[in-house]
Amino acid sequence: MANLSLKHIYKVYPNGTKAVNDFNMEIADKEFIVFVGPSGCGKSTTLRMIAGLEEISAGELKIGDVVVNDLEPKERDIAMVFQNYALYPHMTIYDNMAFGLQMQKTPKEEIDRRVKEAAEILGITEYLKRKPKEMSGGQRQRVALGRAIVREPKVMLLDEPLSNLDAKLRTQMRSEIVKLHHRLNTTFVYVTHDQVEAMTMGTRIVVMKLGYIQQIDTPKNLYLYPANKFVAGFIGTPQMNFFDCTLKREGGKVHIDFTECDAGLDVPYDALLKVMPQYLDGQKKVCVGLRAEDVTLEPEAVANSAVTFKLKISHVEELGTETLVYGDLDLNYSGIAETGTKIVVKAAGFKDFRSGEIVEAAPNLNALHLFDAETEESILPRIPKENFLSCTVKEGKLAFGSLFVPLPPAIPCADGVAELLLPSDAITFDGEIPAKLCASEEVDGKFLLTVEAGGVKLFAVAKEAPTSQELKIGLDLKKIRIKREGQDVVSPLPEINTLDGAFVMEKVREKTAEKRKKIVRYCMEIAGVRLGSTQEINDKMFAAFSGRKVFNTQFRYEFSPYGVRIAEEGIPAKAEGVLDYGREKFLKCTVGERELYVLCDKEISGDIFLLPDPEQIGIVEKERDIRIV
Amino acid sequence: MKKRKIRPQKLFGVAITYLAILAVCFVFLFPILWLVLASFSKTGSIYSFRGFFPTEYSFDSFVKLFSDTEMYNYPRWFLNTLFISLMSSLFGTTLTILTAYCMSRFRFKSRKALMKTTLVLGMFPSFMTMTAVYILMTQFNLINQQWGLILIYSAGAPMGYLTQKGFFDTISVSIDEAARIDGASNFKIFVRITLPLAAPMIVYTLLSSFVWPWSDFILPKLLLKNKDLYTVAVGLMALDNTEFSRFAAGSVFIAVPIVIFYFALSKFLINGLSAGAVKQ
Repeated sequence: MANLSLKHIYKVYPNGTKAVNDFNMEIADKEFIVFVGPSGCGKSTTLRMIAGLEEISAGELKIGDVVVNDLEPKERDIAMVFQNYALYPHMTIYDNMAFGLQMQKTPKEEIDRRVKEAAEILGITEYLKRKPKEMSGGQRQRVALGRAIVREPKVMLLDEPLSNLDAKLRTQMRSEIVKLHHRLNTTFVYVTHDQVEAMTMGTRIVVMKLGYIQQIDTPKNLYLYPANKFVAGFIGTPQMNFFDCTLKREGGKVHIDFTECDAGLDVPYDALLKVMPQYLDGQKKVCVGLRAEDVTLEPEAVANSAVTFKLKISHVEELGTETLVYGDLDLNYSGIAETGTKIVVKAAGFKDFRSGEIVEAAPNLNALHLFDAETEESILPRIPKENFLSCTVKEGKLAFGSLFVPLPPAIPCADGVAELLLPSDAITFDGEIPAKLCASEEVDGKFLLTVEAGGVKLFAVAKEAPTSQELKIGLDLKKIRIKREGQDVVSPLPEINTLDGAFVMEKVREKTAEKRKKIVRYCMEIAGVRLGSTQEINDKMFAAFSGRKVFNTQFRYEFSPYGVRIAEEGIPAKAEGVLDYGREKFLKCTVGERELYVLCDKEISGDIFLLPDPEQIGIVEKERDIRIV
Repeated sequence: MKKRKIRPQKLFGVAITYLAILAVCFVFLFPILWLVLASFSKTGSIYSFRGFFPTEYSFDSFVKLFSDTEMYNYPRWFLNTLFISLMSSLFGTTLTILTAYCMSRFRFKSRKALMKTTLVLGMFPSFMTMTAVYILMTQFNLINQQWGLILIYSAGAPMGYLTQKGFFDTISVSIDEAARIDGASNFKIFVRITLPLAAPMIVYTLLSSFVWPWSDFILPKLLLKNKDLYTVAVGLMALDNTEFSRFAAGSVFIAVPIVIFYFALSKFLINGLSAGAVKQ
């Protein structure tokens, strides 16, 4: 029983193919995690890296509190079930299950007890003397499960264990595995390409595509709040309906105009409050997603609905309890090819629908999903990243709603009307501006608050639930962006400073009382200056590169303005001036052509030296763009 | 019931096929038949044959082969050959199986180059290197020693590792991986998982690496000078011209161990040992 921690895990093959990209995840003890995605998305590779069957190219993998990157599979205390069972064909079922324990030199009586107990749980006691070839597929997979559970591992890894079984057996084994998880009370990591398996089994699901994590969430949240179009389309059957369209806000309504047909919907703005306002201009291309079960054809519900649309039925699939109605929003279309306006609706079972019939449908407006047509990311996030407001700058003051916020000297901005992008995490709760709490919603352990200040509704993020309706908020002005005619006139302070460099080895002669010794030291060479590295950095660098390759590789060193200080020696830089944000001051300086920002409390000019804190430094390999530290 | 009519074209085709089979069988079997009959010739000389076949038949040649050992010690040669072949077969099989396993399971630098080089080197006939082998063996003082021959046969055997590698490739890697996760080392996986599954291939390798030294003539002729150390092939060639039926009897008898060896091991030469391991 143990938790798992995967930090910046990469798998890069010698030909440069990245199978897994920057995989980050914390898996708690006793969780049932499912990796799901289409073929080649890197889910099995990630599992095999956890098992120790694939080498980890970069990153840190912990099982419990132990870093296991360099440990053999047997030392990781894991067990794995393979898609093709991988039983030992020349051994009996008993020997197959006992093999792992024999390798651990467990006493015979103990092996016997554990094998019989596992066989009892899985219902294979009577087959213990048989060979694998005398058993059916389902029984073999039970043996494979038995072989894994007798070892009582910290983590159970299952690589598509049900893919080779027929549909009926698969459903049965699925519930058996879930029951097994409850009974064993250990951490399970399960790989599948079947979204039904993922949704029914996992406590949390990792959706992957082309080596990248798309979303990690509970089955419910994946279904209700897909982070992008891929996740929305992958989770749920039949697949979510997608339509290209544009959104235009007209007062209290938003008009959804379908690009490929004449249809349109008028939706109350309240249902789309979280939509990033820049998408409501009637120009930007947007993709609307609507699940088949979120559209109704029931005449009563349609009559009561304020928003309806028409569709032309092409054909119907009777599934018994429900009927899948296939149709098209383009009422003039009668072809059979797939169109951008096709729609599937889940209706009640045994309803009489005829092909060619035009029916009225009503969508559930609270279940609308909206995605950017280009990036395919959701534009209806659970926590909006930014508040989008129109503002006026006048005499060094920022005005929006009825609020006037003095701009600090670090933000020079010409007077006039502009757009303000205020990140939701730039609103603090230790300021002077009075605000009223309108709503509070818990999302992933954080709280999304809707507050009203100066007549403007703002989204803010809090770590704890608010205790009172009356709040005092402040604005972290170094995070704001002000735009005029699409151009940034005020940009936020960069959160990360980057400098190029290398990693080098130094041989130093050290004189002690008895003799002179040669000591090898490893250093980060940042912008030509050597800085001592830490043991942790050394370990990660050597884990990611074999041999002397680490010394011939170019790196990008990253540190925040808070992770570097001005010192007597270090990276030579030129102070360019101080940015005064009121509460905090930052020194703008240059190293070569790079601009850097450093937290500083006094006026400094001329040549200075910067010393990054090795504990807070991030290191990225430049060529393959792989995060090492 | 209606009688099926055979079309003349079809009849002609079948007749041609059977005629061809008969012709091929004759070409294959006639020399063997002739040798077997010659070994039973009473006179012993090839000149006393009437046409192709001997005039009189007897067991004399076989009796003489094992009783008249003063000049030509056939039993001795037979034991020499058996010793050299068995040893070469054991060592050769071990090396071939290990080579094939490494090439199939491990990925190391220049593995492919090594595989190709070995394959090409294995294609050169052994007599091409005769002079070099002779000089090397003289240097190591291995002329006139059976171990010298065993060394050459065993070391040459892994050149033909490709069949064995192909067999190991068919054993699913996930079985190895399952064993690794179960805590087995590479050696344990090889001994406890791979070898039992590779039994048919080991038997095949044992047989094929037995046959080469058993019937080889060139290398023993080159390295063995002492008559007591001769193998059957070298010994038979040293027979006098008039001893033809003894030569034939010796050649026929040489097949006996191979046949015994084959029947003893044939029960292992079955397919499907790894059935049930993985879902194909």
